[in-house]
Amino acid sequence: MKKINRFKAGMASFCFILPALLVVGLLLFYPVVSSLFYSFTSKHLIKSGCEFVWFENYVRILRDEEFWSAFLTSIKWTAASLLGQVMVGFTAALALNRIRRGRGLYRTVLIIPWAFPSIILALSWKWILNGVFGFLPNFLVKIGLCDTAPQFFSNSNLVFPTLVFINVWFGAPLIMVNVLSALQTVPQDQYEAAQLDGASPWQSFVHITLPHIRVVVGLLMVLRTIWVFNNFDTIYLITGGGPAGLTQTMPIYAYNTGWGLKQLGRSSAVTVVLLIFLLLVCMLYFKLLDKWEQEGA
Amino acid sequence: MANKKALRRGWFGRTVSYVYLTVLSVAAAFPLLWILLSSVKGKGEMTGDPTAFLPKAFTLDNYTTVIGQLGFGGNIVNSVVVAFSTTLIAVAVSALGAYGVVRFFPRFGKKITRVLITTYMFPPILLAVPYSIVMGKAGLMNNRGGLIIVYLSFSVPYAIWLLVGFFQTVPLEIEEAARVDGAGKLQVFAQVVLPIVAPGLVAVAIYTFINAWNEFLYSLILMNSSGKMTVAVALKSLEGQEVMDWGVMMAAAALVVIPSVLFFMLIQKKIAYGLAAGSVK
Repeated sequence: MKKINRFKAGMASFCFILPALLVVGLLLFYPVVSSLFYSFTSKHLIKSGCEFVWFENYVRILRDEEFWSAFLTSIKWTAASLLGQVMVGFTAALALNRIRRGRGLYRTVLIIPWAFPSIILALSWKWILNGVFGFLPNFLVKIGLCDTAPQFFSNSNLVFPTLVFINVWFGAPLIMVNVLSALQTVPQDQYEAAQLDGASPWQSFVHITLPHIRVVVGLLMVLRTIWVFNNFDTIYLITGGGPAGLTQTMPIYAYNTGWGLKQLGRSSAVTVVLLIFLLLVCMLYFKLLDKWEQEGA
Repeated sequence: MANKKALRRGWFGRTVSYVYLTVLSVAAAFPLLWILLSSVKGKGEMTGDPTAFLPKAFTLDNYTTVIGQLGFGGNIVNSVVVAFSTTLIAVAVSALGAYGVVRFFPRFGKKITRVLITTYMFPPILLAVPYSIVMGKAGLMNNRGGLIIVYLSFSVPYAIWLLVGFFQTVPLEIEEAARVDGAGKLQVFAQVVLPIVAPGLVAVAIYTFINAWNEFLYSLILMNSSGKMTVAVALKSLEGQEVMDWGVMMAAAALVVIPSVLFFMLIQKKIAYGLAAGSVK
């Protein structure tokens, strides 16, 4: 009798998490397995039916120069964006933490970019930086910094830094808000004690602030790396991977293979490689995070 | 002596901080401001003087064109329906799930961050392939229901992450007291726990709504007939048209971005708290 009651209680508890498990299982884990399956087939976007082709898709993409240049672009894009986002986000959080008056107002204005949908992110910057009627190119000419309006999206030297700038603009607020809330958990008396001992602000920062917030910041870095690496919208909507494939990242390469060339099987192979690479990178991150946590943060 | 030095340093640091934050704020606010200003300028104003700030002749023509001639109203309805339904389902599923994990499966709860990060790692473009195949087979292409199902894939893990942080703040004693009074698990959850976390729940719901409203890739792949498109994809197709009027585009952009920004400002503090609390194991 007791056993039955315990079983019943267990079932009731399980019912709470069942819907969430179904969503995660059916909408996340099952599609990954199914993508893995399709990556070994000749699945076509429109034609029905497909053959099992073993590793043909993988051999084909690994031999494709475009794949490797997209891979390299992805790494550059992720590293540069992340570096910029962390630098701007971190310094903004430190500045916000320092001021007294107007903190709420600054914070509210500074998070505006975070709320931007990718399509608006793309449209607004395309309009501001438009080579003919855009505000900024014309402004630069007007104040005499440039002779002719700079072409931010078609000049092959400018396009990549421009995209990184836009991505930093968009992503820095998230870093800022999270670092700020982590900063506020650092006990104030430690700073006072350090100051009494004659520690410089830099010393306090390195020995008190950083050890306190590094786990949160580390986790944030993991999440941002994943997000930027997987991000499709921003570049697709601004340059579409152009000019001449210069800004084509892995997700865009996968999209063009699957929906441009209609080779869904091969596109799956690209995305599986993408996932494997991310898993490897994140394992390294987690090793580091575990070490920090054991050291006590 | 040391105190005076510290005071001076504090004054200098604060001034630098104010200057830096002001520069950043201008950069953060400018695109939104420019969208709004461009959307109310008259025809030819922007091509005449691209750096002029304020409109010479204020007009709402661009907005009437967007709603009247381009049928953007229908796209807005699509987006609202999809985002609202996604939010309702995702919050219900996630609230049950997050509470269940926190209260009944705490051992699993320790691992939940890692599980959620693993699902976060799955590239949306990877998921897009099976989604388009399955939805094609099920006849759910160009169907709002299909899109809502797909949107649960990113909204549920996010909402669980945030909600776990909020549920952890509910003291066990309150629930036990209700339990002694003979209330069942679901009753305790609905009548005791939910009211306590209501502010957090509302914030998560709004955040889910914004994310669904903003989504682009899945909508691009699943909704390709113009009547069924969500606002993001409709804007993209508007941009692809041969005669593009930036004033009209910016009016449409304003209609899409303003709800996002306003809602987001309302809930930013709660979301930041939830993100931090959810990441603590």
